[in-house]
Amino acid sequence: MASTTASIVPTRSEVLWLFRSLLRTARQFTDYNVREYTKCRTVDGFRQNRTLTDRDALASAFSYGKAQLEIAKRQAIVYSLYAPKVKSIMDIKP
Amino acid sequence: MASKLLASASSTLRKTLSTKPNPQHFLCRLSSSSSAAAVAADPSPADSYEDANGITMKGVRISGRPLYLDMQATSPVDPRVLDAMLPYYLSRYGNPHSRTHLYGWESENAVETARSQIAAIIKASPKEIVFTSGATESNNISVKGVMHFYKDKKRHVITTQTEHKCVLDSCRHLQQEGFDVTYLPVGSDGIIDLHALRSAIRPDTGLVSVMAVNNEIGVIQPMEEIGSICKEFNVPFHTDAAQALGKIPIDVEKWNVSLMSLSGHKIYGPKGVGALYMRRRPRIRVEPQMNGGGQERGIRSGTVPTPLVVGFGAACELAMREMEYDEKRIRALQERMLNRIREKLDGVVVNGSEERRYVGNLNLSFAYVEGESLLMGLKEVAVSSGSACTSASLEPSYVLRALGVDEDMAHTSIRFGIGRFTTEAEIDKAVELTVERVEKLREMSPLYEMVKEGINIKDIQWAQH
Repeated sequence: MASTTASIVPTRSEVLWLFRSLLRTARQFTDYNVREYTKCRTVDGFRQNRTLTDRDALASAFSYGKAQLEIAKRQAIVYSLYAPKVKSIMDIKP
Repeated sequence: MASKLLASASSTLRKTLSTKPNPQHFLCRLSSSSSAAAVAADPSPADSYEDANGITMKGVRISGRPLYLDMQATSPVDPRVLDAMLPYYLSRYGNPHSRTHLYGWESENAVETARSQIAAIIKASPKEIVFTSGATESNNISVKGVMHFYKDKKRHVITTQTEHKCVLDSCRHLQQEGFDVTYLPVGSDGIIDLHALRSAIRPDTGLVSVMAVNNEIGVIQPMEEIGSICKEFNVPFHTDAAQALGKIPIDVEKWNVSLMSLSGHKIYGPKGVGALYMRRRPRIRVEPQMNGGGQERGIRSGTVPTPLVVGFGAACELAMREMEYDEKRIRALQERMLNRIREKLDGVVVNGSEERRYVGNLNLSFAYVEGESLLMGLKEVAVSSGSACTSASLEPSYVLRALGVDEDMAHTSIRFGIGRFTTEAEIDKAVELTVERVEKLREMSPLYEMVKEGINIKDIQWAQH
């Protein structure tokens, strides 16, 4: 699978779709720390790869991001299954 | 319950304060009342109780789950690590040592992949990695196993006073068997003196064991220099790198280590798994602690736990990819925390070297505040006074004592552990709560009042009780 996607350079709209999907999935995490980390890591990761021009580097960054999105989707479900009844104090509005 | 006890303790304090008591008496009473609260709130399972409005446990009521700043004790499992592990808890449950069916083969492949992932992060060969149950077991195999194997010629071990308990206890065990152990002292910054190490080496020295990053104070020892001294005298060098793995760059060739202990749960991996690096050239040999089916080349018999090992491998690969990013973030958070606390409080001391330390560890002493009462008051922040193994006792940490920290300052230490999942908002909240609590305790402290009046506490002649 990696070999077929490795050479295909993602379009601008595909990259934006990945970015939005990652942020949307991040918001679904019940755990405060994982949610904030996923948001922050997504933004920083896209910012860091903004200047990529090499075709192979672009393709591999995109396929890595897609794999991360799949993990995030699965784990958001797992976390929601075992969410503690009590929220983190960071999630409780004073 | 505990808050009630504390409230009553503080009301007696106020009463005793107005009658001008002996300040030491005050401190005794405070610490005894906090331990009394801990005993009174002894947890029977029925005692802990959780609903949507909060948790009650050990007599303490908390409205939400505390923010976690104890990354040196253990770290949360990264969701990406859990994602790699779950398949091996579901359909892929084979024993990696089964040679006759697919279940065994796929597990074995997964274990070998993990072995290469772990080898890659420390720049070793996969053949040099042995899976264990954790860094404690790896340390035991290293210290006792090496000395037992070479016991005919080598009778001497060198270690440091600030090692982890399991290394010190293994050394004590060796002493009972008649081996000699040298416990090297450390400077006030927590770093060993290389000249002292050099002069401590004897012809019958069989092992030098120095931890890379200290678990309590986060100090990084000069590994390359120690390694080159060991090479010069041809002494095997063991290091406990549980706190260093994935946080500082590790290279077994540069460090010239013969043995290295690694742990999974300090790098966002699962608990209950670790590894031991054992050099092949020149070969180091150990006497196994566990005998049995001969797994892991006979060094550690017992079925290798595939899901845990897969998680450990995934955590290592992730740590390698994320080390630079994490370091940058954690450094910013640590600086933010230290600067904000220093802005608002005086008498705050960083324990251990400030330059040569892992950035995720901030061990602070707050002068004129009793550590246990500070920890009890900070129930919305999960921190500890030192290592998890010894934080239950009211004794000050032996690591801080080895640094030469005064008894009163050693009692007031708090270790803030910052990690991959710590946020800026959490740091701000922790600072706010800590500052508030320290100010409150200082307000009650006659010692602090006396210092404000310009009395040097060290000159006071305390009355005997």
